[in-house]
Amino acid sequence: MKPAAFEYHRPDTRPEALALLEQHGGDAKPLAGGQSLIPAMNFRLATPAVLVDLNRVGDLAYMRVDSGVLRIGAMTRHRDVERSEDVRRAAPLLFEAMPFIAHAAIRTRGTIGGSLAHADPAAELPAVMLALDATFRVESVRGAREIRATDFFTGLFGTALEPGELVTEIQIPVTPATGPRTGTAFTEFSRRHGDFALAGVAARVTTDERGTCVSARIALFGVGDRPMAAAAGARLLEGQTVSDDLLRATADATAREDIDPTGDIHASSRYRRHLAGVLTRRVVARAFERSRVTHEE
Amino acid sequence: MTRPSFGQRVRRNEDARLLTGRAMFVDDVNLPGMLHVAFVRSMMAHGTLKGIDAAAARQRPGVVAVYTAADLGDYCKPGPVLVNPPPVPGHVFHGCTQLPLAKDKVRYVGEPIAMIVAESRYVAEDALADVIVDIDPIDAVVDLEAALKPGVPLVHPHLESNAAAHVVQRKGDYVAARAKADIVVKRRFLYDRGVAAAIENRAVAVDWDPRAEEMTIWDTTQAPIPIRNGLAKMLGLLESQVRVVAPFVGGGFGPKIMMFYPEELLLPWAAMRLHRPLKWTEDRQENFYATTQERGQVHEAEMALSKDGRILGVRDWFLCDTGAYDPYGLTIPINTQCTLLGPYDIPNYETEFTSVFTNKPIVTPVRGAGRQHGVFVSERLLDIAARELGIDRVEIRKRNLLGPDRFPHNHEIMFQDSAPLVYDSGNYLPTLEQAAEIIGYDKFIREEQPRLRASGKRVGVGICCYVEGTGIGPYEGARVTVEPSGTVRCATGVGTQGQGHFTVLAQIVADALGVGVEDVRVVTGDTREFHWGTGTFASRGAVVAGSACHAAAMSVRGKILDLGSAILGAPADNLELSGGRVKVAGSNDPGIAFGDLAGRANPLRGAVRPGTEPGLESTAYFGPDRGSTASGVHAMIVEVDPETAAVEIKRYLVVHDCGTIINPLLVEGQIHGGVAHGIGNAFFESLVYDDQAQLMNASFMDYLLPTATDVPPIETAHRETPSPFNVLGLKGVGEAGCIPTGAVFAQAVEDALGPGAGVEINEIPMSPNQLFELMHVSGKERA
Amino acid sequence: MNLAGTFTFAGPRATVWALLHDPAVLAKALPGTKTLTLAGPGRYEGAMKVSIGPLTAAEFAVVVTLSDEIEPSHFAMQIDGKGGVGFAKGSATVDLAEGADGGTVMTYASDIQIGGRIAAVGQRLVESVGRMMMKQALDSLNAELEARVKK
Repeated sequence: MKPAAFEYHRPDTRPEALALLEQHGGDAKPLAGGQSLIPAMNFRLATPAVLVDLNRVGDLAYMRVDSGVLRIGAMTRHRDVERSEDVRRAAPLLFEAMPFIAHAAIRTRGTIGGSLAHADPAAELPAVMLALDATFRVESVRGAREIRATDFFTGLFGTALEPGELVTEIQIPVTPATGPRTGTAFTEFSRRHGDFALAGVAARVTTDERGTCVSARIALFGVGDRPMAAAAGARLLEGQTVSDDLLRATADATAREDIDPTGDIHASSRYRRHLAGVLTRRVVARAFERSRVTHEE
Repeated sequence: MTRPSFGQRVRRNEDARLLTGRAMFVDDVNLPGMLHVAFVRSMMAHGTLKGIDAAAARQRPGVVAVYTAADLGDYCKPGPVLVNPPPVPGHVFHGCTQLPLAKDKVRYVGEPIAMIVAESRYVAEDALADVIVDIDPIDAVVDLEAALKPGVPLVHPHLESNAAAHVVQRKGDYVAARAKADIVVKRRFLYDRGVAAAIENRAVAVDWDPRAEEMTIWDTTQAPIPIRNGLAKMLGLLESQVRVVAPFVGGGFGPKIMMFYPEELLLPWAAMRLHRPLKWTEDRQENFYATTQERGQVHEAEMALSKDGRILGVRDWFLCDTGAYDPYGLTIPINTQCTLLGPYDIPNYETEFTSVFTNKPIVTPVRGAGRQHGVFVSERLLDIAARELGIDRVEIRKRNLLGPDRFPHNHEIMFQDSAPLVYDSGNYLPTLEQAAEIIGYDKFIREEQPRLRASGKRVGVGICCYVEGTGIGPYEGARVTVEPSGTVRCATGVGTQGQGHFTVLAQIVADALGVGVEDVRVVTGDTREFHWGTGTFASRGAVVAGSACHAAAMSVRGKILDLGSAILGAPADNLELSGGRVKVAGSNDPGIAFGDLAGRANPLRGAVRPGTEPGLESTAYFGPDRGSTASGVHAMIVEVDPETAAVEIKRYLVVHDCGTIINPLLVEGQIHGGVAHGIGNAFFESLVYDDQAQLMNASFMDYLLPTATDVPPIETAHRETPSPFNVLGLKGVGEAGCIPTGAVFAQAVEDALGPGAGVEINEIPMSPNQLFELMHVSGKERA
Repeated sequence: MNLAGTFTFAGPRATVWALLHDPAVLAKALPGTKTLTLAGPGRYEGAMKVSIGPLTAAEFAVVVTLSDEIEPSHFAMQIDGKGGVGFAKGSATVDLAEGADGGTVMTYASDIQIGGRIAAVGQRLVESVGRMMMKQALDSLNAELEARVKK
């Protein structure tokens, strides 16, 4: 399990990194935390001719809140996100999801931008970004653009990134603590702590003073070729107050209409669908509950 | 007075080296000019090998040599059958062992086809893709039952079928017992394969010195001396020209006792031709194919009982997957046959198995070695019988335990060591009662479970008994030497893979000589240090090598007393050994330090008297007629999420009896590791082969070893029923932790789901997905 | 891996049949195809390099042999792909029926065995990759068909 030979660059600045990515195009891979890429290279299932190591690029790791947006530099390590007070306050859903990502050792190296650009369909963060309606800033030598999470994930490990483009910043609207109240919740089912989830759900529910759902987003992972927004499930919630029947109907609609999971050695398609339903019900219930708690604060 | 160390929680002598990273492992061997090896392995499980084109690989810069079977000449011979079948009348056994490199046919994915030697492992791996292998595929033999049907392709075409062996063993008259039974419970049971997953994969490094004509082989083997003996013979060298070192080895668990692995044969051969040191370190993916595995068995078993729950007899029929070859003979299925009897009085027993060749990696013992299958079958049948008879699970076990007056107990069938299965000693009832008491069985069933169930929680308790045949022969030896420095050296042949030999063997010698444990230096796993022995397997290190160490140390003690008596002018009976000195008991005279005595025993002038030997040194051997039988009870409390089928282990208890305990700390360590292994087998680990015997989860991404978060704290309690078969009363403990785990898990999960769920778990491993299917199917059936 | 399904092409059956036998068209449609040539009657040879996001398996040598051809409604295929990290080997059947509105309904079934390292470490993705490649291929063929029909 030794990688094939590759050319290695370690730029110090963002323009140098972008220039290298532009120069080598599809032959180059940016190296962020290396927690997915390096194992794939060791298995020789990834054989990039060129690695552009971003770990020396200074200005890609930061977290700050401005004008209602939580901005996270793409090279910010999971471990830093997990421990950030800003993240806890501005994006409690992201904060709740972080400990589910792999293991502490992996989170210490792995980066938020790397995970999103990798777009593993069983990863936590892409679904969280869908539920939070995040936007990604991507840059290349040709300029910068912004891509909404809903448009970013295009298929199995597929993203809207063009050759030469790099995710540089994740922008998450701050979960409002006033006005309509918002509750978020996250869970996943995996065989062991840190494994790829057999199914996982992130939800955000906003209610008015009477507890009626104003808007809802549900995103699932591990149950398709990309993170899946559960439109049918979420639609049932809007305009409703929480009840066991509503939760059950939402879970059923999500499991039946919003996903079409494949089976693998760990979980059949049927079991994944079943898990997706159970987890959706539990997570949406918790999100409702938390939207009420913010009311009472 | 030096305090005896037996029974004390003595810290391990080896840990300072291990924990500070100073212990040497095979991969630490780096010699000038060393070359690195990688193997081209079959991607097909079954096929005719039509051609190998290695021309491009040989051309690649950095590649030094590429060898195929054709290059090996006479050296390309099938390996030995390591363990001949025990002499059970009427048994059939077809020994088929593998070539170092495949010729004409491939029989499993991963079978080595060509050996690449290069300046680095990177280049060697680059060259793997250069070798073009032409294989004409044959349908793979995967399923054990299908393998025996007519018309199925044969793994070994010179045989009439894929049956590798057939053995029937009988005790009493099962048919007559069945006729008298009030109830007969019959089920089909599956227990599937896993890997041993030692943290250190296999590795071999070789240095051939053509001028001295000496070869040094560093090998992760559990059996350095037999490896040395076999390689010397095959390479045409004297045993004294070959030194095999098994340094610190990161876990064995059985597969490293296998010999000879192709890599062990090929690196020394190539080193003699290339005149350069070579190293091969197995990577994790290779380990899933190239290292032996265990556990695939299918049982059809029935138990006949009277209505008061007494076992009248058991009949078991099973198939045992031996993989593509069967170098380890019948050890595993014979263990299954013998261990099924457990701690119970089973007067009538009929057991029959067919061992089956398949196109999967070779099967040799992995921790437990067939024992868990036997325990699973008998414990599950008892659970089912208890349910059907309306008898409590613990009660039905109590009614069938062998009483303390029944030892030694002859089971009248043959064990894996070719001796009759005789239990040396045991006291089973108090072990079961203690386990039930600690886990709070009665209160749990009566109060906690109903209360929790009422609040929607599904919790259950499991409790199972087992015995483990341990400490078998043939023999081990040891040489104990008091050096002039006063340090005591103890050399033995068994290799060590983390068991704590540097501590327990030191304790045995230390207590015999009256020195501190830390003053005894154990040397093991190096054929230069000790010439005779077999290896570390079958929970035998402490029992067999330990008894040899004890005998050698007692002999040295005799020499110390003799010489001390002569010098101190006091009868030996009046002397005492303590603190590394011999002195007159009760005297204020400090006596003589062992080091000084050692100097006096090896004088530069004067003569060693006829009939004596120089120095304070003795060599002794121990070979038990038969093994000793450890026993125990495991209990477990689980909670099942009825919606997701997730299972959480809340408590795990082991009450264990391995005879006299040398060091409870190490016994507990063995049990903890074993339980983790057992939990893995029961719930997480599973080798998934497709219908062409392609392994679909050959990495730790998909092969789920339990981690620290999946293994609960393990509670232990010890009982000591000494073995009469060795002076110290020892029994083995290496495998105990993983033997009944599957059975306890199944019982606990069923109990958690409750009788209404109609779930019966007769298959291990049991993933949440499988459990979900069981719950769903039985739910539908009820409706 | 078993992939099976139906797909409706927006064009006549004879054209679909022709497209499915045209190595130049197939080379464009099948994801990762680097070369594909007709090497003999019903025998196509080529090279593929399949990439899924960051994962790029090394190049595969591919041989596809057609059999049981009943123009324009049915054919079978033997597929044999070999590469440094694994192999894919299997068979497939394709049936074409005339559909509504001048379209063509294709029914396909395949049984592909995956071996080597791709099977060993990629099992979580194999089925999804198979589905994805099939979808991309069919969409691409259909686009080509529409272009031809418009002409």
